[in-house]
Amino acid sequence: MHIDWFVFLAQIFNFLLLMYLLKRFLYGRIIKAMDDRETKIAGRFAEAEELKVKANEEAELYEKRNQVLNEAKEQMLNEATMAADAKRKELMEKVRLEVDQVKTRWQDMLVREQDAFFYDLRQRAAKQLYDTARKALSDLADVKLEDRIVDEFLRRIKALDEEKSVQLRKAITGGGNKVIIQSAFGIPALRQTEIAEALKKQITNGFTIRYLEQPEIVSGIELRVNGHKIAWSLNEYLETLVENLTETLQKEAHAA
Amino acid sequence: MEIVSLNQISPDQVVIWSYGFIILNVTILYTWLVMGILVIGSILVTRNISSEMNVSRWQHFLEVIVSIIRGEIREMTKKGADSYIPLIGTLFLFICTSNVLAVVPGYVAPTSSITTTAALATCVFIAVPFYGISRNGVLHYFKEYFQPTFIFFPFHVMGEISRTLALTVRLFGNIMSHEKVIGILLAVTPFLFPVVMQILGLLIGVIQAYIFAILSMVYIASALSAEDEHHVEVKKETVAV
Repeated sequence: MHIDWFVFLAQIFNFLLLMYLLKRFLYGRIIKAMDDRETKIAGRFAEAEELKVKANEEAELYEKRNQVLNEAKEQMLNEATMAADAKRKELMEKVRLEVDQVKTRWQDMLVREQDAFFYDLRQRAAKQLYDTARKALSDLADVKLEDRIVDEFLRRIKALDEEKSVQLRKAITGGGNKVIIQSAFGIPALRQTEIAEALKKQITNGFTIRYLEQPEIVSGIELRVNGHKIAWSLNEYLETLVENLTETLQKEAHAA
Repeated sequence: MEIVSLNQISPDQVVIWSYGFIILNVTILYTWLVMGILVIGSILVTRNISSEMNVSRWQHFLEVIVSIIRGEIREMTKKGADSYIPLIGTLFLFICTSNVLAVVPGYVAPTSSITTTAALATCVFIAVPFYGISRNGVLHYFKEYFQPTFIFFPFHVMGEISRTLALTVRLFGNIMSHEKVIGILLAVTPFLFPVVMQILGLLIGVIQAYIFAILSMVYIASALSAEDEHHVEVKKETVAV
């Protein structure tokens, strides 16, 4: 083996030259590129980490906001529910009042209708009873009903006790010595005289009597003076009839 | 026709041109060829180098090679590798390229010349103290030659020289002998067997390049680690004071 020293030195030179050239054109550039890339990647990672932290913060913020919104929503819902309940109660109360009013009106109307019915019934019944009684008395006993009514009226005047008589006397005196006698029929003058005498004898003297014909006083006669009265009419009998009839109707209504 | 005949042990003996002591032989010629391939290839690839994510496949290839070299050096030194890459990387790339190109007919690897391997080993021989001294100065470096006692100085020197010789002869012996074996086989057996040997030769060529580069790094690293140990001791003393 022979070593040529020129070649040896030349190879050393060649190697050093190659080393320099590769350092310049290969290692330097490649390493720089790799380092730059690493830096970029590290930068991106850092950026990603920063974004992640930011995203987490945002997420927490949104979660908090969401929680606040939910709480607000729940509160509003509760308030709305309470308001709705209050409104419902108010409306229910209003409706109940309206229903009560309607019911009251209806009951009033019903009572009025009932009253009207019974009034009408009483009037008709009285008239019918009056006609029937008058006809029966006329046919059977040849007696006039009006006379019998006046007789009964006179009997009642005469049957007044002392206390009642005193009261009536005071009433006549307090009422300006005026007495009103109302009847469903016209009282003949003779009977008027009998009445006047009976009154003078039983109660007092020195007053004027005024006779009024009132069809409303069904088959009856009455004396009115300053809040006191002496009367007889079919109404007393009719009241019993109406009471019985009302009771019967109520029983049937309950049964229905 | 072979450029280097079997009886010529080295391509150094094939002189193309000479003027006085200046000669141009096949070794230098193919060295230039390998240098040209490496440098021109590097320039072409790194001309449009990019630090983005999408890069050319050649850039990828070179990045892989540089990364591997860098990793190997970092494993040895446990420190920054960039200052050793030019030397170690160039040794590996030059030897590897020289050896791999041996599959090209008519080509003779410059590494099959003992002059080349001696030149490379000499570069390493110089680089070891160069890196050691540049790191911590002359005194500390040469102090190591007298450790543990001055009696060891000749042994240290002999060790330096012998390992340089070992580097020289190992590479030269492997590559030269392989080329001679291939030449003999081509003369004796045709076709298949020489092809298998050529493939084996590629493997040997790459391994030899790796061994040469790694050993060089080991030598440099041993010099550096000796310096580091010394530094640690100095630091301890400073702390004690």
